Amino acid sequence: MSSWRTLLLRIGDRCLEYGGTTDFKEHIETCYSVIWREFEHSKDGIFELLLQCAEQLPHKIPLYGVLVGLINLENEDFAKRVVDTTCSSLQDSLYSENYDRIRLLLRFLTGLMCSKVILPGSIIEAFETLLSSAATTVDEDAGNPSWQPRADFYITCILSCLPWGGAELIEQVPDEFDRVMIGVQSYMSIRRRTQDIGFTVFDSDEDKFLEEKDFLEDLWDRIQVLSNNGWKIDSVPTPHLSFEAQLVAGKSLCLSSISCPEPPEPSDRHYTALRGKEKHQARLKYPQRIRRLNIFSSDKTENIQPIDRFVVEEYLLDVLLFFNGCRKECASCMVGLPVPFRYEYLMAETIFSQVLLLPQPPFKPIYYTLVIIDLCKALPGAFPAVVAGAVRALFERIGDLDMECRTRLILWFSHHLSNFQYIWPWEEWAHVKDLPKWAPQRVFVQEVLEREVRLSYWDKIKQSIENAPALEELLPPRGEPNFKYSTEDSLEGLDGYTLSKEFSGMVRARKTAREITSWIEENIIPVHGFDVSLEVVIQTLLDIGSKSFTHLITVLERYGQVIAKLCPDHDKQALLIDEVSSYWKNNTQMTAITIDRMMSYRIISNLSIVRWVFSLSNVNQFHISDRPWEILRNAINKTYNRITDLRKEIQSLDRSVLLAEEATRKAIKEYEAAESKLEVVDGQPVQSEKPGRLKRLKGYSEKAKDDETSMRESLEAKEALLARAVEENKALFLSLYKGFRDVLMERLPPVSADGKLPKLRIANVDSMAVDSEEPSTMEVDHDNGRTDNSQSNGEKVFPRYSTGEQEQWCLCTLGYVKAFSRQYASEIWAHIEALDSQVFAEDVHPLFRKAAYAGLCRSTPEL
Amino acid sequence: MASLFKDPSKLSMYRDRRFPGNQEEYVQALETSTTLYVGNLSFYTTEEQVYELFSRAGEIKKIIMGLDKNTKTPCGFCFVLYYSREDAEDAVKYISGTILDDRSIRVDFDWGFEEGRQWGRGRSGGQVRDEYRTDYDPGRGGYGKMVQRELEAQRQLVDYGAGSLGAFQPHMSSHYGRHGGDRGHGGLHRHRDYPRKRYRDDDERSAPEMSRRTSDYESRRTSDHDSRPEKNPRFRDSGDSDDDEDDDRKRRC
Repeated sequence: MSSWRTLLLRIGDRCLEYGGTTDFKEHIETCYSVIWREFEHSKDGIFELLLQCAEQLPHKIPLYGVLVGLINLENEDFAKRVVDTTCSSLQDSLYSENYDRIRLLLRFLTGLMCSKVILPGSIIEAFETLLSSAATTVDEDAGNPSWQPRADFYITCILSCLPWGGAELIEQVPDEFDRVMIGVQSYMSIRRRTQDIGFTVFDSDEDKFLEEKDFLEDLWDRIQVLSNNGWKIDSVPTPHLSFEAQLVAGKSLCLSSISCPEPPEPSDRHYTALRGKEKHQARLKYPQRIRRLNIFSSDKTENIQPIDRFVVEEYLLDVLLFFNGCRKECASCMVGLPVPFRYEYLMAETIFSQVLLLPQPPFKPIYYTLVIIDLCKALPGAFPAVVAGAVRALFERIGDLDMECRTRLILWFSHHLSNFQYIWPWEEWAHVKDLPKWAPQRVFVQEVLEREVRLSYWDKIKQSIENAPALEELLPPRGEPNFKYSTEDSLEGLDGYTLSKEFSGMVRARKTAREITSWIEENIIPVHGFDVSLEVVIQTLLDIGSKSFTHLITVLERYGQVIAKLCPDHDKQALLIDEVSSYWKNNTQMTAITIDRMMSYRIISNLSIVRWVFSLSNVNQFHISDRPWEILRNAINKTYNRITDLRKEIQSLDRSVLLAEEATRKAIKEYEAAESKLEVVDGQPVQSEKPGRLKRLKGYSEKAKDDETSMRESLEAKEALLARAVEENKALFLSLYKGFRDVLMERLPPVSADGKLPKLRIANVDSMAVDSEEPSTMEVDHDNGRTDNSQSNGEKVFPRYSTGEQEQWCLCTLGYVKAFSRQYASEIWAHIEALDSQVFAEDVHPLFRKAAYAGLCRSTPEL
Repeated sequence: MASLFKDPSKLSMYRDRRFPGNQEEYVQALETSTTLYVGNLSFYTTEEQVYELFSRAGEIKKIIMGLDKNTKTPCGFCFVLYYSREDAEDAVKYISGTILDDRSIRVDFDWGFEEGRQWGRGRSGGQVRDEYRTDYDPGRGGYGKMVQRELEAQRQLVDYGAGSLGAFQPHMSSHYGRHGGDRGHGGLHRHRDYPRKRYRDDDERSAPEMSRRTSDYESRRTSDHDSRPEKNPRFRDSGDSDDDEDDDRKRRC
């Protein structure tokens, strides 16, 4: 017989512990009988595990609810403890703003209500508390509409309990329930639709998006359909119905009433920028859980009830949340949800929605890569085809995909293929070779191949595309270094060659950095000038360090100072980066790594990297390669990591200082207490404590004080560092935005006289319109093209890309403005005043402003 | 976040015998370490491949390739150092058991790199697991070292005068077409550039020595190919090697 622990954990699963059946009634009976047998013995253990299970396996909440209901029949104290604890956890989570816990505890309480452990009226009361807090929050006068994300979240919590308890509530407390529904309805009418364009995955959806319902409105619709269907729902098990006869005998409890935190005081209304900042903070606290991507055509997923889609998404997202790090359990749980219909498409859409979730997914994208790999293995017959379908669908729309999402998709896809022997029907995409080099589909294929080569090696990837030899053109170069002085008769002349030989001789002879620096300063620069010196030093050092990442690090550790001395300012550092880029022109990865390491060793600054990225040769690549963007991303990310680390250190030092203060206080108190202890000897008061102990205590208190002081000092030192880092960050973002502004100003089409914004997508939209008139024939053509051998009639079949180069450059660059603004919004908001005065001035191009504001989720001033 | 299914014993599975401390200190070291041990690598996998994969979990500080004591060439393991513990944890969670260079790699916490730990601990210079292995693993130098020595001894007996082992032509290409769907992954690595090798302490002197070492490497490799049909791990369809027990790291003290 399995232990009660395993039975509790495994309840509802098709597993050995339950003899392979999935009859919930049987499961509950088996589990309950074992629990009850062990009850006296391990009451506390059962209590703890049960609560943990309810929170971490939320798709089984109805089962756990019934178990508590059955226990309630025999032991009311236990059930009361469950209810009270859950209720006080909910209260804590409301104040600590732990949104996942709030949502799940409320669902568990609803489950307990279904099993007659809690009075329905109590649940209604909890709903009403949330409802009134939400309504107050969005009220202009009484509340703080910036915090609508929290209000929306509360309403989402209420609505998302209804699939689990709606039927029960309408039956038992119909009037009260109607009141809640009316309350929600009126909340829906006063809240504002959330239009965070910055978070849309597909750009072209923008106009449509403004009319589209947001997440809460959509959920509300689904709930109303559910209500019209008499609250019948396939995806939520209702085991309590099988036990109703028993459960009704149980004593239902009242919930102690809960309260919600007040919305924070609105910030100064005079400066609207601050309100944007506040909104941003609220959004960070209550991020949207999913932005549903409709990747597949509706016939693949929509044969289930609207509410079932929501519930299955909830299940999947919670499995992803709680099974992070448990590969096998995660995959088996995802494929074994307690629903009576197939959901592979829905599962793929949900996972891709997370991979592409903006501003960022709850976990690193590599987690979802792993999940998709494991699901492909768990459902080898079904899931790989669904994934491939998703890739095809996303590829079709890649030109509309947000730039950040494109990068994520490239990284995911290359990594995914590397786990499946790089097998992909590349011949389907062979036509991209004929597209202009800025066509997003072509760039996508090129970047996927680039990443594949990095994960593997050139020949292997070449072989993997042998069914589409046309694509060889898109492979990156073989990646060898481009050493200027490899031969005597190089174009660079004999001078450089000789100098380089001499230099590498010195390195080989282990000359110190100082010796080499003086050799350069005394013998090279005066004779050959700075440019030649830089070239010789960088080319030669990079060549010595070219064999691997570690070789590079070794060289930089030993001779980084030589470079730093040679290039003390931004201009020279930008030239230095140019030289790096030239040495590794065939190898983007090594270019990026080298620049990244040089920044680590503080040989070059982030500002010089930004300057270099905005130099002409890079700017001209913005729309055809990820190379400059990767380097820019690295530089900003590294800066961000530094400041984040500092903040973390300060946080922990803060805690240590508090502890030290406490220790000092205690030591002093103890000493003083000892000191003041007097006794009367010969009529005179004398200290009664032994002098030795007094001395010791004094020593302790002094030491504690010293510790506290030194702790404070290191805290101050770190705070000074942080202040400097914040200033550096400000400079970085100012220079980044100025860089963007300047290159965009030169290339964006001007605003027309009547003030209309130029439309960059026009050309493409037209071609899309043509396509959409006959979408089915396009599909067929496409398929034919594939089977009839695309080379012969490729021209005729495949769609061209009609966006011009200049427009594509603008779209791409604006896309990155949005992406960077969004990713570092919190850092950027901190410097918004400086940005407003120095960058977003009146005369700035409105499209640039729009892109940056969209990323920051800041409302655009009327134009 | 999840605690229900985490295997708490996972950390202490393997105990490095050379760790200079007691079990408690060892566990403590693992629990705070930002260093990872990566095992079951192909000998051909380069630092840059490792970098590309592992940087997807976070910013990498350092990579140290495990090298064969004698040949100074990669011998199938490495250390990856991150800046943050969180990133290191994510790499263990998300990369262990996935494929790099067609091999399912192991990723574990390590107590910390020290000079000397980059060398293989096997008698022949490589990893211990490659001493006793009896399968043919082209990504790891063919047969295990013991089997190789045996084969060489046999070959001496039936040597028809070719003398040098390098004269043995590998037979891999004959198996090429068999795996139609797989597009002959097995034979591929032979066309590949040899990994850029590194010598931690004598970078600047490595260039002249390079050729000699490369040729050592090459002849050692080609001698591995025997006329027996290869058993190529690149054709394994399952990439899950959570239970890969033959790693020398797994020997308990």
